[in-house]
Amino acid sequence: MKRLSLHTALFFLLFIILAANVVRAEDIDILDDSFYEDSPKEEITPDPFEGFNRLMFTFNDVTYTWVMEPVASNYSEIIPEDIRQAADNFCYNLQEPVRFVNTLLQLRFADAGKVLTRFAINTIGGVGGLGDVAGREFGFKRVDAGLGETLEYWGVTDGFYLVVPLLGATTFRELFGTTVDGLSMTPYYFLANSWQEGAMIYTGRRVNSLSLHLGDYEGMKALTIDPYRALRDSYFQYRDQTRQHHARPSANDKL
Amino acid sequence: MKTALRFLLIFLTLSFATQVAAAQNPTEQVKPFINRVVAELKDPSFRRDTVDNRIERIVTLVSEHFDFEEMSKRVVGRSWQTLSPAQQEQFAHLFAQLLGHVYIDKVDAYVEMKIEFGKERLAGSSRAEVKTMFVGPTKTIPVSYIMMLKGNKWMAYDVTVEGISLIRNYMEQFKGIAQDQLIPVLEKKMKELKADKKAKN
Repeated sequence: MKRLSLHTALFFLLFIILAANVVRAEDIDILDDSFYEDSPKEEITPDPFEGFNRLMFTFNDVTYTWVMEPVASNYSEIIPEDIRQAADNFCYNLQEPVRFVNTLLQLRFADAGKVLTRFAINTIGGVGGLGDVAGREFGFKRVDAGLGETLEYWGVTDGFYLVVPLLGATTFRELFGTTVDGLSMTPYYFLANSWQEGAMIYTGRRVNSLSLHLGDYEGMKALTIDPYRALRDSYFQYRDQTRQHHARPSANDKL
Repeated sequence: MKTALRFLLIFLTLSFATQVAAAQNPTEQVKPFINRVVAELKDPSFRRDTVDNRIERIVTLVSEHFDFEEMSKRVVGRSWQTLSPAQQEQFAHLFAQLLGHVYIDKVDAYVEMKIEFGKERLAGSSRAEVKTMFVGPTKTIPVSYIMMLKGNKWMAYDVTVEGISLIRNYMEQFKGIAQDQLIPVLEKKMKELKADKKAKN
C-alpha cells in the first residue's frame, strides 16, 4: 500500500512537470458568434494517433453493436428498470468518497459538503445506496468530480486524445484520472479476489449502465456524417458541460 | 380636428402594437411553437405518412422558428462564402432534412415526455438561449434553443442537447470534408437514411 502511494505521488510529480506550459481554455459563451469560429478544446488537444484511434473506434463500435448492446438489451428485458437503477445507484454511492476527495482537491467546498451529505443520507436512508433518497427527496443532486478534473483544475493539460477499447473516448490525462479513480480508490475492486473478478465487476457495471441508455448511441450515429469526429467533439463538449459547476442547466431552472 | 385626433390615436395604437410584438420575449414565441410541433408529431395522420412526407411536413413546420441558413452557415464555416447562392440554398435544404430526421427518429421517445420551460438568458437585445427540459418517466434531458432576433421573430440557429451544441458537432464533422464534396456528402447521407427508414417500415 505504501508503494502504491509512492507511485501515485511520483506520477503526480511527473504530471506537474509535464504541465509546465499551462493552457487553460477560456469558456466562450454559446450566444457569442466566436463560439462557432474555432473549437478551442480540439485545437489544444491534438489527436496524433488518429489512425489508431479510428481503428479503436471501429472496434468499440463493432463490440458495442454485436456484444454489449445485445447483452444489455437481453439484460434489460430480464431485470426490471427499477432494479437496474438501484444497481446503478449502489455503484455510484460507493464512489462518493472518491468524489469527496476530488471536490476538496478542486477547492469546491460547497460541493464537497453536498457529496458527503449525499453519501450519509443514501448509505443510511437509501439502504446502502440502493436508492437515491438524497437526490429525490432532499434535492441534493449528483455532483461530478474526478481526478481528471482535479488535474485540469491545477493546470495539467489533456496531453492527447485517445480512444481506448471498451472505455471509449478519453485523453491521456483523463485516462490516468479514471484509472486511479476506478482502480486504486473504488472499494469494490479491493473486494475482488483476482483481476478476473475485478473485470467481471467492471463489465457488469458497464452492461448495467448501458441498459439504462439503450438506443441513444445508434440514434446519434445514424445522423452523423463522420461518426469518429462527432464522438470526439461530443466527448469534449459534454465534458466541458459537466465541469461548469456554476452555470449548469438543471431541472430547477424554472421561470 | 376630430379625424386628425382619430388618426393620431390609430397611429399611436399601431406603433404601440408593433413595439409590443418586438418586445415579446423568446420564450413567449417558442412555447406555442414547440407545442405545435409536438402536436404534429403526435398526430396519427402524421405517423402514418410516408418518410418523405413526414420530413417535408416537419421541416415546413419548424422553419417558422428554425433558421436553417444560419445553421448551415456555421456548420460549413469559412467555405460558406465560396458557395454560390444556389449551392447555399441547396445545402441549407439538405441540412434541414437531415435535422428533420432527428425528430422522426426520436419521436417515439420524445412524444411520451413532458416539456418544461426553464429560464431564458439574453445576450444583448438580439441573442437568447431558451432552456427547456424534456421530462420522461426515468430521465430528464436538458434541451436549449440558441436564438437570434430577426425582425420581430426569434429564430433558432442552434440546439443543445445535454449541453452539446448540435451545430458545433456538425461543424467539427464537416471540417474534414472538401468544399466541393459538401453537398454530395449530404445527399448521400439523406439517401442512406431514407433507404434505412423504408427498410424498417
